[in-house]
Amino acid sequence: MTLQTLVDGLVLGGLFSLAAVGFSLLFGVLGVVNLAHGAFVLIGGYAAWTLLDRFGIDPLLALPLIMLGMFCLGYAFQRTVIQWATKRASLLASMLLTFGFALMIRNALVLVYSPDFKSVTPSYAFDSLSFGEVTVGLTRVAALLVSVVLLALLAAMLRFTSLGRTIRATAQQEQAAALCGVNIRHVFALTAGVSAAFAGAAGVAIGLVMPFSPPDETLWTINAFVVVTLGGIGSPAGALVGGLILGVINTMTAELVGAAFPNAMMFLLLVLMLVVRPAGLLGNSFKGSR
Amino acid sequence: MKIDRRTILKTIGTAVAMPAIGRSAQAQATDTIVIGGSVPLSGRAAETGLNVNNGYLAAQKFINEELNGIEVDGKRYKIDIRLFDDASDPARASTLIQRHLDDGVQFFLGSFGSNIVLPTAAIVERAGKPMMQTGGASDQIYTQGYKNIFCMFPRASRQLYNTIEYFASLKPAPKSIMFAMANDAFSKTLAEGAIAFGKQKGLPINDIITLPENITDASSLVNQIRGKKPDVLLATTHDQNSLLIARQLISSNVDVPLLYLSLGPQLKSFRDALGNFANGLFFQQFWDERSPYKDAIFGSAQGFASYYGKHFKRDMAYHTASGAACIVAYVHAMKAANSLDPAKVREKLAALDVESLYGRIKFTPEGDGDPLHLGSTVGQVLKGNAEVVFPEASRTAAPTYPAPTWAQKRG
Repeated sequence: MTLQTLVDGLVLGGLFSLAAVGFSLLFGVLGVVNLAHGAFVLIGGYAAWTLLDRFGIDPLLALPLIMLGMFCLGYAFQRTVIQWATKRASLLASMLLTFGFALMIRNALVLVYSPDFKSVTPSYAFDSLSFGEVTVGLTRVAALLVSVVLLALLAAMLRFTSLGRTIRATAQQEQAAALCGVNIRHVFALTAGVSAAFAGAAGVAIGLVMPFSPPDETLWTINAFVVVTLGGIGSPAGALVGGLILGVINTMTAELVGAAFPNAMMFLLLVLMLVVRPAGLLGNSFKGSR
Repeated sequence: MKIDRRTILKTIGTAVAMPAIGRSAQAQATDTIVIGGSVPLSGRAAETGLNVNNGYLAAQKFINEELNGIEVDGKRYKIDIRLFDDASDPARASTLIQRHLDDGVQFFLGSFGSNIVLPTAAIVERAGKPMMQTGGASDQIYTQGYKNIFCMFPRASRQLYNTIEYFASLKPAPKSIMFAMANDAFSKTLAEGAIAFGKQKGLPINDIITLPENITDASSLVNQIRGKKPDVLLATTHDQNSLLIARQLISSNVDVPLLYLSLGPQLKSFRDALGNFANGLFFQQFWDERSPYKDAIFGSAQGFASYYGKHFKRDMAYHTASGAACIVAYVHAMKAANSLDPAKVREKLAALDVESLYGRIKFTPEGDGDPLHLGSTVGQVLKGNAEVVFPEASRTAAPTYPAPTWAQKRG
């Protein structure tokens, strides 16, 4: 039973990680706490539902398309809204602004999709895989694989590509990067685009394993915040570690302490991390953590 | 005829005054009864809030457009329902209700969700105005000594009496029953009332599990079911959580001979999301449009369902019917009182005992619905439809117990 709980925790953790990595990246590079991140996650979920329900496109096949669309949305969001707020006011203003946007997106989703919950149910939604005594739903396995593969790709992109190096350089020393000829505004917008694309991917993965409705955006923003605090800001590895730990703690607490206590344990952990190691387990010296 | 200055002035004066007199007479014919309130059209409770809202509005539309209003004390009145969106926020709802009171509103309709109804009911009660509602069933509302708050449902702790009676009648008798309740006021009270009644009936209630209010993962519950193998699982959870539990049970291949999800399978969207796997699920069934109820306004339950289907796009839910029944109750009370004095209408609401589209409307002295007449029946999804399977007198189909396993449904 403990092995089953552990596997369930890792699957849940994979979702937490994917949903948090975009938030972490934006916080790490731009120093912006994007309170509309959960709303971006939901847009991804609704996009997957629409493509499956209206056009019969499998969510996993639709993933690249949704990520591309979300990338464009994130890019435009940074170049218009966030940049405007941070330039004219402060980072705090961007936080308030993103909060306002989260409310607007939530209500727009209610208008477009109604307040009813939606459930992405492809043909394999109710199938499962068994390994000995451990059984895991196929959609959960798919969600975990999507999370791990995308996080690995992001880590590789940040580590080995020119764009990744530029993003890291900008995160470490904005002015120095600008002096070296980096177009800071463009890099910030690219980062916001990547962040939104990963939020959209998380929405697809979440939609595969659980029903969702517009008010859930708050939940996914809070979860991202806890994962980032736990794992460290600005690194995909931090998000992965933070998410997996959170997922395992969630299921273990439910199993060993009581099903009503995972949230309490999650916030206890958040407080402990902030007191003991504010930079998180794998935190590095990006802007948001300085 | 002599035409002098005085005659001309009299003629002009009469000509000016006549339309005004006409307008006044017309205004009397279109006097309105304002009924105020708030409903959650956004936020977490918006899904059911919209159903309640549509029920209120469907009754208003029918009464005003098809019946040209109602007659009270020799005058015809149209119904004017004024609802604000409280965004599922109790604080916001309280402010809006106070605003209605400040504007002189005399009659109220309730929001959806006990957490919203409780504070707004306190405000309305203090003002001595009646409130009809169909969204607050927590026991807390009916143990405060309120005299003006009336609900179309019995209080939560009494809602599952029929369900427990059904469990007691099962053959073969279940050897173990597991309860899973979401950690919110309504779900907890609902389960606790059923557990107390079940123990009184001698049912083997062996496990009681509390779940978070909003569930992102039900694997611990699934694992407990896998380990303990209960014959019955009764989960008092809201729609979205119920769907998550069902999906995880299906994909984990964990079977329960009787899976009862208090809220969820009533909705077509829920049944559509599970497809064939929805068959066999049990749930609380408050209303069925095929019920043979007669109604003084809509004619019958079917009459209401058909009118609603013609004029509203949103699927019918039992909250829609109970919302419309709130207006029906008001109309009966106002006619019986032959007055629009809130105190007199309140007296007639308290004494109401009439058949309606939603069933027999009768309240306990504390204001919640009479459990015998307004309590829930036991529903089961059979061939994709929501059927009433218990009590036998209300049955639209015979129950299937034990329900087919997930593996059988796959085949």
